[in-house]
Amino acid sequence: MTNFALSLENVEKYFPPATSGWRALLHPISRLTIPALRGVSFDVKHGEILALVGANGAGKSTLLRILTTLLIPTRGCAQVCGFDVAREPAKVRLQIGYHTGADACFYSRLSAKENLLLFAGLNNLSQSEASTRIAELTEPFGLGALLDRQVRTLSTGNIHRLGLARAMLHRPSVLLLDEPTRSLDPLAAAEFRRFLVQRLVGGHGTTMIFASHTLAEVEQLAGRIAVLDNGRLLACDTLAGLKATAKAATLEESLEVVTRRAPRETQ
Amino acid sequence: MKNSTRFVLTLRKLALLFLRDLAVARSYRAAFLIEIFQALFGVAGFYFLSRFVESAKLEKSLPPGANYFSFALVGIAFFDYLSVGLHTFDASLQEARQNGTLENLLVTQTSLPVILAGSSLYPFALMSLRTAIYIGWGAALFGFPLSGANWLGAFLVLAASVLAFSGLGILSASYLLIFKRGNPVNWAILGLSTVAGGMMYPVSVLPVWLQHVARLIPITYSLEGMRAAILGHATLRELVPSLAGLVVFAVVLLPISFAIFSWALRRTKIAGTLTHF
Repeated sequence: MTNFALSLENVEKYFPPATSGWRALLHPISRLTIPALRGVSFDVKHGEILALVGANGAGKSTLLRILTTLLIPTRGCAQVCGFDVAREPAKVRLQIGYHTGADACFYSRLSAKENLLLFAGLNNLSQSEASTRIAELTEPFGLGALLDRQVRTLSTGNIHRLGLARAMLHRPSVLLLDEPTRSLDPLAAAEFRRFLVQRLVGGHGTTMIFASHTLAEVEQLAGRIAVLDNGRLLACDTLAGLKATAKAATLEESLEVVTRRAPRETQ
Repeated sequence: MKNSTRFVLTLRKLALLFLRDLAVARSYRAAFLIEIFQALFGVAGFYFLSRFVESAKLEKSLPPGANYFSFALVGIAFFDYLSVGLHTFDASLQEARQNGTLENLLVTQTSLPVILAGSSLYPFALMSLRTAIYIGWGAALFGFPLSGANWLGAFLVLAASVLAFSGLGILSASYLLIFKRGNPVNWAILGLSTVAGGMMYPVSVLPVWLQHVARLIPITYSLEGMRAAILGHATLRELVPSLAGLVVFAVVLLPISFAIFSWALRRTKIAGTLTHF
C-alpha cells in the first residue's frame, strides 16, 4: 500500500470549446483550449476526509471525474492508492466508490435490491457476496424497508442513502462524493451528514473526498479543505489552518480572503 | 485474474444486464401483450397484400416452393434484426445517458463494450420472440410453411447475421459517442438495405448495378440464407455461400468497429463529453 490514498501532481485539464450545429459536425474534434484545472497538486492520506470547495466552474467536479477515470487529464499525474488514473483505470475503479448528488442515477423501475445486486455483480461480487454485503449495509444505511420497493417510489433522501450504499458495496478504499446533499432539503441534508459522520467517518478508515457548496457540511465533515478557484488550487489546509492564514473568524470569511487574493484572469 | 475467471465473470455480467432489461420490461406487462397482437395485425396485413400482388410472373422470381406471403414475411421478420443490430448499442448508450446511470455503470469493474453487449441481449431476444410470434401467426392462420425447414441452418444464419449486424451497430454507437445525435451510419445502412437488401422483393428484380451493390451489404446474405433454410429447405452445404458472406462481414467489421469505438470512447473522456446528449 502506498503512503497516500490520493496523489495529484501538477494535474491539468483542458476541454474543447463547446460547439453546435454545422461547426460541431464539420469539426467534431476541436483543440483543447478551455482550462478546467491548472496544475493542481496535493496528497490525501489513507482515512483522511478532504472537502473540495469553490465557486461553480472552479474545477471540483472535473477533479472528481478525473479520479473516477471518467475523464483523462490533459497533463500531470493523478494516482489513487498508487494506481495511475490514465494508465490503470480498471485498478483505480477497484479502489473507489462514487456517488453524485444527482437524483436520477438508478433504474427506477427496478427495486432497490435489484439495483444493488446489479451494480454488485458489475463490480465482480458473486451473488452470495453481494447478498451478504447488502445485508451488512441494510442496517447502517437504514435500507430495510426500502429494499423491495421500486426506486421510483423512494424519496430523494433515501435515493442518496441507496447511492451511498451502492458506492460502498465493494468495500472501496476511497469514497468520492460530488455534492452529495445538493438536492436534499435542509433537514434531510442534516440527517445525511449525521449519517455520514456516524457510519462512514467514525473510525471506518475510509478515505473520503467530497465536493460541496455547503460550508456547514464542510466544517462538520472535513479534516482538510482544498480551495479551488478558476481551476487553480489556492489552499489546502485544515479549517483552523485556513482561518489562521486568512486571519478570519469563519470559513466563509477565510474563503473570501483566499479567493480575493487569487490572480484574476480573462479567458 | 485468470483468463477463464475473467470469461466466466464477463458471461455473468452479460446475464445480469440481460436480467436487468427483462425485469424492466416485466414491469410494463401490458406493452408485452399488445406486442403479441400487434404482430397478428401486421401478419394479416401482409397476407392480404400478398394475395393482391401474387401473379405468375412474381412466382417465377421467388425461391422454389415459396409464395409471396411467406417470402415477404421472412423478409420483414428478419430485416428487423438488422434494425435491432444497428440501433441497440446506441439506444442503450443514449438511455444510460438520459436516465443518469451511465457514470455509475462506468465506474464499476465492467468495461463499456461489455455493458453495451449485455444491453443488446434483451433487444435481440425480444426480436427473436417477435419473429417467432410473426411466423407462428403466419403458420397458424395464413398457411406459412413450417414443415421441412432447416432450423439448424436458419439458426446458424441468424447467429452469423447478428454478429455482422453488431459490427455495424458498434460503428453506429461510435458515431453517437462523438456526435451525440443524428446518425447517418444508421440512415445509410438501413436505407440501402431497404432498397437493395431484398426485404420485400427478390434481389434479382433489381437493375444489375444495384444487384452488385446488394452484394456489399450483409442483409442480402442474411435474407437469402434465411429464405433458403426456411422456405427452400436448403441443406447446410447449400447455405455455405450465405454463411460465408456473413462471416466475412463479421470478421472484417467487428475488429474495425471495436477499434473505432475504443478511439471514440477515449476521445469523449478527453473532451469530457461522455455523458453529454
